[in-house]
Amino acid sequence: MRILIAEDDFASRKFMLKFLSQFGECDVTVDGMEAVDAFLMALDADTPYDLVCLDIMMPALDGYQALKAIRNIEQERKIPEEEQAKIIMTTALNESTNVNRAFDLGCVGYAGKPIDQAKFETVLKKLELIP
Amino acid sequence: MADDIITDGMLDMFIFETEQGLENLQNICLDSKDIGEFDEDNVNEIFRIMHTIKGASAVMMYQNIATLSHKLEDVFYFIRENNPENVPHEELVDDVLEVSDFITNELEKIKEGSESDGDSTGLIEILDVFLKKIQNVTTGENVQPIQERPLQEKPHFYIAPVASEHSKFYNIFITYMKDTDMANIRAYMAINSLKGIAEDILFTPDDIIANPASSDVIHEFGFKIALQTTEGPDKIMELINSSAGIENVEINECTGEEFLAFCAEAETPAVNPDAQAAPAPAAAVNVPAANATAPVNTPASPAEKPAANATPQPAPATAQTETKPKKPAKRPPAKKGEAQSFISVNIKKMDLLMDLIGELVIAEATVLQNPDLKVPGIDLSNFQKSAAQLSKITSELQDAIMAMRMMPLKNTFQKMNRIVYDTSKKLGKDIELEVIGEDTEVDKNIIEHISDPLMHLIRNSVDHGIESNEKRAEAGKTEKGKIVLEAKNEGGQVWISVSDNGQGLNRENIIAKAKSNGLLGNRSEKDLTDKEVFNFITLPGFSTKKQVTEYSGRGVGMDVVVKNIQGVGGMLDIESIQGEGSTMTMKIPLTLAIIDGIIFSVASTNFVAPTNSVAEFIRLTNDKLIVEPDGEEYVMIRDECYPLVRLNKFYHLNGAVDNIEDGIVVVLTHEDKNLAVFADTLVGEQEIVVKPIPSYIKKVNGLSGCTQLGDGSISLIIDAGALVRA
Repeated sequence: MRILIAEDDFASRKFMLKFLSQFGECDVTVDGMEAVDAFLMALDADTPYDLVCLDIMMPALDGYQALKAIRNIEQERKIPEEEQAKIIMTTALNESTNVNRAFDLGCVGYAGKPIDQAKFETVLKKLELIP
Repeated sequence: MADDIITDGMLDMFIFETEQGLENLQNICLDSKDIGEFDEDNVNEIFRIMHTIKGASAVMMYQNIATLSHKLEDVFYFIRENNPENVPHEELVDDVLEVSDFITNELEKIKEGSESDGDSTGLIEILDVFLKKIQNVTTGENVQPIQERPLQEKPHFYIAPVASEHSKFYNIFITYMKDTDMANIRAYMAINSLKGIAEDILFTPDDIIANPASSDVIHEFGFKIALQTTEGPDKIMELINSSAGIENVEINECTGEEFLAFCAEAETPAVNPDAQAAPAPAAAVNVPAANATAPVNTPASPAEKPAANATPQPAPATAQTETKPKKPAKRPPAKKGEAQSFISVNIKKMDLLMDLIGELVIAEATVLQNPDLKVPGIDLSNFQKSAAQLSKITSELQDAIMAMRMMPLKNTFQKMNRIVYDTSKKLGKDIELEVIGEDTEVDKNIIEHISDPLMHLIRNSVDHGIESNEKRAEAGKTEKGKIVLEAKNEGGQVWISVSDNGQGLNRENIIAKAKSNGLLGNRSEKDLTDKEVFNFITLPGFSTKKQVTEYSGRGVGMDVVVKNIQGVGGMLDIESIQGEGSTMTMKIPLTLAIIDGIIFSVASTNFVAPTNSVAEFIRLTNDKLIVEPDGEEYVMIRDECYPLVRLNKFYHLNGAVDNIEDGIVVVLTHEDKNLAVFADTLVGEQEIVVKPIPSYIKKVNGLSGCTQLGDGSISLIIDAGALVRA
């Protein structure tokens, strides 16, 4: 499984990297812009990401915008729904408005920080990303 | 970091919505318990509720709740689609309530911050069995056995943040050696090493990397960290000490609130450093470092403009034991309480508070009207000022407690809906109920007392008031039978009326019955007003109904209704037009305990009349007094004639004024009737606390209670209604 992590805070980034490395190959970006770039590159190289974890509060392009951009790209390229990347937001913003906004924009998961690793794993299982 | 949002809105929302849904569910179940089945709306509503709960709990990853609600949803899906006959309703209701209990229980756990670990498989099995049963019963004609609908989760998952109960909050204060270069970088290193164990971390100054000047600030004020972690102080100490140049470290455990406060503070740099020297809370761990001098408090918050703080605190920039506890307790503490702004209070406590306020009002009167103040020539202007203030506060206090006890009639009225529905169905009448003014608020105490009478009135209307469908057709009534339930505020009272468009009361029948019961006495039936006649039906054992039904006709009832209403100081008013319908109105005082009253005296006795029943006071001359041959007296006021009651005669008091010109006439009004009462002198107006007349005194006509006046004397409260009737 290929995983893309977008996270501006170093400690969180390191944590995510360490946590997710056990499940697959991780790429790390530090803001939303870079994440979208990385996502595009991967598509072009025909090695798309299966899972994208987006922080929300990031410089350049925030998580919502990145999420939207990624979904737009996928639509443009007519990627069927089942092949689209699974996107999980990882953020400290936990109000329901934020959560619902993210769901509306097309993410499948929303993980409040600090991240509950066990639940995160459960979600990955449910998304059939890991056995 | 400062952007961290403390509220865990998602979870709150889930709990709130689910609770609402469950409450709704229970209401539907209880409502339908008597009907014996769920109607289509109910089924749809329950289906919808379970669907919502299923969806939400799946998103929140509460698997046990999700699967259970999914199963129940299945059951209702089947009922909705196939409309099976012979659903054992009671069993179904029991199952639904059990599911609801289970979820409620899980919600409690979640609210407390623990895992929702209840096992729902048992309940699911029960539901499965039930589902099979109703499927089998209905197999036959066109029932396609329901296909299993696997629990499809929406591809949405909300992973709630870790909020382990063991996480603690610390505030950490670090000072660096004066000669340490780049204290900001070192501080950042400390932060970095803490991040590994931190669930949440805040620090100030917060721009340590970007702003080299922050180094000076750290030297000056020290470096503050607020940390949420599951680790103990030793571990924290170990992590921090890994960086060099540290002079002193202090770690204090603090509460979630303090943690939160720190967050808020960190965002708005404090203006006055001294002001925020917080007292050091418990467990301080003082570490290495040389001269940990006395704790000088220097708030280090002005991170933003270090330069501006040119002359900060000449304090020895060395050892500071600043203990700024605080830093938001991200979730655990915030979780409870914040969600709801209502508390439920034991009604007894409210009653006690009410009583105490009553006593306070009396005590206030005894102080303000204390005889000691009546010394001639004493200067009371300051006293009066404070007295006015005191009075204002006590009356506001009364208003506040009254407002607290007020509840809308909505729930009570909704119950009536059910009663009309039930009774009319069983009696085979086609009746609709219109409800007006259900938002009217009345004292909680009153609600309790009127619920039964109201139910009775409604049943009466359904049973006796409204004719059977055939009779209505005979009488040429085209419109449907209708009952209007209305509540409104009317000058210190609340009026709750039940009117129907049925046959009305039959005067002749009532009189005939009254005669046979010997109630007329020696009065001719022509002397009786309609109201008097109608009032007969409120007497015990009085029923003109020949046929006793399940609901009414036994003649117990109206007298109980009236007794109940009188118990809360109210009265029942009956109006009826034969053939067109009748209206029963309960008139109940809004408040029971404290009223405004006008005090007047007759001989040595004080009487109080509620201010809202006093129309006017007037002095009359002898020529306005008319004495009938039988001794009854009337007075003419502005060409209107009022019956006159002399309280001294009425209550046999000696030594009162006899001449009408020497006393004063108080005109009392009750509903649309007036009555003149003759008294000696007016004493004043005052808030009075109504106390019942003690039970050892037998019922005295014309009095509704008694009260204690400011000078400690007892005053009797006039019941205008009773006097008017007397």
